[in-house]
Amino acid sequence: MEQIKIIINGKECVGNKGETVLNIAANNGIEIPNLCYNGQLKLYGACGLCLVEAKGMPKLMRACATVAQDGAVYSTQTPRVVKARKIALELIMSDHEGDCVAPCSLNCPAHTDIQGYLKAIANGDDREAVRIIKEKIPIPASIGRVCPHPCESHCRRRLVEEPLSVAYLKAFAADNDLASENPFTAVCEEASGKKVAIIGGGPAGLTAAYYLRLSGHDVTIYEAMPEMGGMLRYGIPEYRLPKAVLAKEVDAIAKLGVEMKNNVKVGNDISFEEIKNSADAVLVTVGAWKGSSMRCKGEELEGVLSGIDFLREVNMGNIPDIGKNVAVVGGGNTAMDACRTAVRCGAENVYVIYRRTRAEAPAEDIEIEEAIEEGVEFLFLTNPDEIIGENGKVKAVKLQIMELGEPDASGRRKPVPVEGAFKTLEVDTVISAIGQKYAPSGLEEIGVTGWGTIQADEATCLTNIDGVFAAGDATNNGASIAIDAIAEANIAARAINAYLLGMPMDFPKPYYSERNVTPEMLADREKMPRAVMSVKAPEYRKGNFEAVLNGFTEEQARGEAKRCLECGCHDFKDCKLIRYANQDPIDPARLAGAKHECFKETRLVTIERDQGKCILCNLCVRTCKEVANESILGLVGRGFKTVIKPEFEGTDRIAVCKDCRKCAEVCPTGALKIIG
Amino acid sequence: MRIVIGEGSCGIAAGAAKVHKAIEALMTENESFTLGSTGCIGMCFLEPIVDLYDGKILIKRLVKVTADDAAVIVEAARSGDLSGVEKLVISAEDEEFLNRQTRIALRHCGLIDPVSLDDYRNADGYQALEKALKTMTPEQVIEEIKVSGLAGRGGAGFPTWFKWNAARQSVGERKYLICNADEGDPGAFMDRAVIESDPHSLIEGMLIGAYAIGACEMIVYVRAEYPLAITNLEIAIDAARKANLLGENILGTGFSCDMRIKAGAGAFVCGEETALIESLEGKRGMPRLKPPFPAQKGYMDEPSNINNVETFANVSWIINNGGEAFAAMGTENSKGTKVFALTGKIRKGGLVEIPMGKTLRDVIYGIGGGIRDNKEFKAVQMGGPSGGCIPADLLDTVIDYKALAATGAIMGSGGMVVMDESTCMVGMAKFFLDFTALESCGKCVHCRIGTARMQEILTRIVKGEGKEGDIELLEELCDAVKDGALCGLGQTAPNPVLTTIRYFRNEYEAHIREKKCPAKECVDLLTYSIDADKCKGCTLCAKKCPAKAISGEVKKAHIIDENICIRCGQCVSSCRFGAIIVE
Repeated sequence: MEQIKIIINGKECVGNKGETVLNIAANNGIEIPNLCYNGQLKLYGACGLCLVEAKGMPKLMRACATVAQDGAVYSTQTPRVVKARKIALELIMSDHEGDCVAPCSLNCPAHTDIQGYLKAIANGDDREAVRIIKEKIPIPASIGRVCPHPCESHCRRRLVEEPLSVAYLKAFAADNDLASENPFTAVCEEASGKKVAIIGGGPAGLTAAYYLRLSGHDVTIYEAMPEMGGMLRYGIPEYRLPKAVLAKEVDAIAKLGVEMKNNVKVGNDISFEEIKNSADAVLVTVGAWKGSSMRCKGEELEGVLSGIDFLREVNMGNIPDIGKNVAVVGGGNTAMDACRTAVRCGAENVYVIYRRTRAEAPAEDIEIEEAIEEGVEFLFLTNPDEIIGENGKVKAVKLQIMELGEPDASGRRKPVPVEGAFKTLEVDTVISAIGQKYAPSGLEEIGVTGWGTIQADEATCLTNIDGVFAAGDATNNGASIAIDAIAEANIAARAINAYLLGMPMDFPKPYYSERNVTPEMLADREKMPRAVMSVKAPEYRKGNFEAVLNGFTEEQARGEAKRCLECGCHDFKDCKLIRYANQDPIDPARLAGAKHECFKETRLVTIERDQGKCILCNLCVRTCKEVANESILGLVGRGFKTVIKPEFEGTDRIAVCKDCRKCAEVCPTGALKIIG
Repeated sequence: MRIVIGEGSCGIAAGAAKVHKAIEALMTENESFTLGSTGCIGMCFLEPIVDLYDGKILIKRLVKVTADDAAVIVEAARSGDLSGVEKLVISAEDEEFLNRQTRIALRHCGLIDPVSLDDYRNADGYQALEKALKTMTPEQVIEEIKVSGLAGRGGAGFPTWFKWNAARQSVGERKYLICNADEGDPGAFMDRAVIESDPHSLIEGMLIGAYAIGACEMIVYVRAEYPLAITNLEIAIDAARKANLLGENILGTGFSCDMRIKAGAGAFVCGEETALIESLEGKRGMPRLKPPFPAQKGYMDEPSNINNVETFANVSWIINNGGEAFAAMGTENSKGTKVFALTGKIRKGGLVEIPMGKTLRDVIYGIGGGIRDNKEFKAVQMGGPSGGCIPADLLDTVIDYKALAATGAIMGSGGMVVMDESTCMVGMAKFFLDFTALESCGKCVHCRIGTARMQEILTRIVKGEGKEGDIELLEELCDAVKDGALCGLGQTAPNPVLTTIRYFRNEYEAHIREKKCPAKECVDLLTYSIDADKCKGCTLCAKKCPAKAISGEVKKAHIIDENICIRCGQCVSSCRFGAIIVE
């Protein structure tokens, strides 16, 4: 065979005379994107992704169909080709509803592979589940207990009956793994010789420490408090997260070789300068430990506490004297933790003062419910107007009665005072749980936002100081839920690793195709109610700090995990389309328009065809005809409405299909799935 | 005397068959005159047309004839006294429509009986075939075509001799000559006219081509929507076969070639040559990648040559008169004549064949008589959905492949749709995109999804829902589809959009920014109201309004309820006082 030489993207490639540019490129290690080409089949040329530019030729050419000319110069990277490929992908994606990743994972701030670990739990493999969880969350037993689980709010099971109990299944698997003889332990990469200092050992600090350690770096955490865990240790009450559980997970991180220095407060025990000098990169994850002011008269009185101060003291074993009547101000989870802790500290009458109604309260509803069960009285539509004191001590709180007005920027109806309507509540203690702030003690040189939080780049977590990164409650939008801090710590760890290796730090946001699923589309799913976990009786739990939740039984957990609808595409890891879609940034939304209907075709014997994922590359049709020597699949219709359909419309099952499954094997997306 | 009625499809549609029947009914057994029919005369605006012949001489052409005129016509034919039909005689001005044309492809149309082999032979028919087969080698035939400069009349304008030569040079078991008669462009009907009116000219032209490339079979791929063309061609093929003009050992020369018809199922894309081949093979009509070109691997993977009807219709004239005579007409790079189907807001619509090199103004004003109802010329759409529009200030563009391409339009197959001031150019672009998006075969991404997205954007613009940036997005999509689409359909689909943006960007901007349609055509952007000063309260508009949106007392000014109004325009056409205001 006569050989020819061509240049592709500046690289000299040798091929045989008569070969196409696509093949020569492939044989020389250059992948030209393509979705409809298959060497076994006749040329088709439909996807338009393999367009290349040949020097001296006015038109772009399809590499799959272009016979290479000796000495010719081809490029797959000229601006014209890149643009053509981009728009081709955008066009394809504008009519492709793939559900690449399940909505639970997409809406988990840390993008944990929930579908993956639920499957492992359903299969009884908790160790594998923990391995998957720990790709994103190093402390699953703790997080599983406290997470407000945004994933569950997006679980598609809610369209059938109720969402899965995702969060606690995580804790279930992690508990089992921790209790096993051989708990899952990740393996650290070879030592990089680089040092990272982390200030603050809360969920963000621990998470970043874990992943940076796994990447082979030397990690030291400086923690101001006596123990690691941050708000998980000192903010969340024992009855929600037993500290022994947290301790085990902290221990596991320490065992990887992360150095943990407790009782070291920056500014007092060590200067920020010293920390910076000691490491190649610094991550600031100090959290937000300062309670926000209620901005009402009497806040300075003895007996006015901030919620986090109160919770911290209790968690340290110092139960303060709060008297018999306690008012907690606020409607968030911290307020719930504070009021329920107050009950457990012996207060007889605990009130929650919240200026909106229950419907607007940011606290999880179950927390409100359990607080009510424990005797907490909720005074909705009230706001502290003044804290009245006597001899410098709290005596009462004067409440302004509120009503709901027009919706505000957040969409919630804005509370407005009812003129002249007040009432007074006799209390011994007022606990303010209306928010918390970052207090920059010793870290003043780090730039802050207009809100007083640390300004950190969202893509890299980098602050205004080279080599200093920040994540968690102290940054940008301020205090949030633990999983947000963990998500940011993941970003920070990846960026710091890249920084230490001298690589680009920002990773583009991955593109995923998402599907809009309606209850009708899931009408055929069997209804399987959500597992109900047993809890301790209110009367019993009021008097102690024991965990309220009793956990799932083995049977409950496995059954619950089996409820997963497996929404994420089975082909995600092998999908050529999504791989190309993430090579260069694309924006299919700008070309949004009509889409093919999403439905599943089940007339083939062991193949399930998902119309919404089909990109009409026709590989299945051609394979059925040319390789399997059948013609069971064909194109129907014209223009945009063209679809692939099996023959013999009207029959339930296509008996002539020989079940060779060759069509599913060649599908470049997840449109064809082998079942049964 | 002989009465001949123009009975092409359009003549029949205008009532020619009824006229024919009415005259026939009045004829006696031993009538003094004869009655016959011919094909399309090409003057749509004057149909039905009845010609009175004395021998071979046309003595009177009667136009806009109805069945009621049959008696006077019969009387005139019997008596020879033509004063009774004087009111039906074509005006001198209208005669210019044909007088200003140079007819080669249409040379027999409207002059001979389409299904009469004798008529065709009497008009020099099959002389070119005899000349080619008996006195010329295939190479000499190709050379003659090369000298003529004949280029493909289907749209692309590729030199015919080059394709013939490529097919001749190509090695294969069998070779095929295919005629593309899948005339799909909205507004184009010249191919239909040729087949209906002069089928033997197609057969003869194809036979010469088949001889030149060495084909053993000829196939005419004609759209099933042309039943009369198919019937006439079937009759002609039959007659030709019986006369040894088709089949084995044609005219005793040893050359054998037969012909058959394949009716297309109505997909526009089958006019694309590789999709046409797929369809001929019994497959779904979808284009193939080129190369290989049909000349290398075409029908049944054998060397095949495909030309358009009009191209073949020129061939025997060239062989009879010589390539040089053909090349003497036209411009440097466009030789001979071109047939245009002149339609739209033109005063005189019909088929126009003129030498290349004339200007658009010559056709539209010189022959077509300008715009109907004394309105302003706005633009002409050349080349159907694959072509583009040319605005008023380019009316002096000469008809020439290169000159037309420079405007962003194309010569195309010859559709010429004339638009006046009341045509919205965005709506026009949308009309063609609706067509191409629907007719896309669905194979390649750029055409299937790209044209659909363009159509969606145009739809939102004409509805007043266009967004800032839509024009740029359209332009970007146009470029991408041109570059990336697999076949001619997709590659040219953006042309109507690109040219309307190029010449009428302000209309797009008015729709998007001001939510106004300057041509007052986009109903979603119009408001109807009544000028109280002009309204006489005649109640006619209220009676005509199908939505019952107009109310008012007799002899008092009426009002239109904007919420009920469906903007159909009935009130405007019914008002005798010009009181309806459309904004």
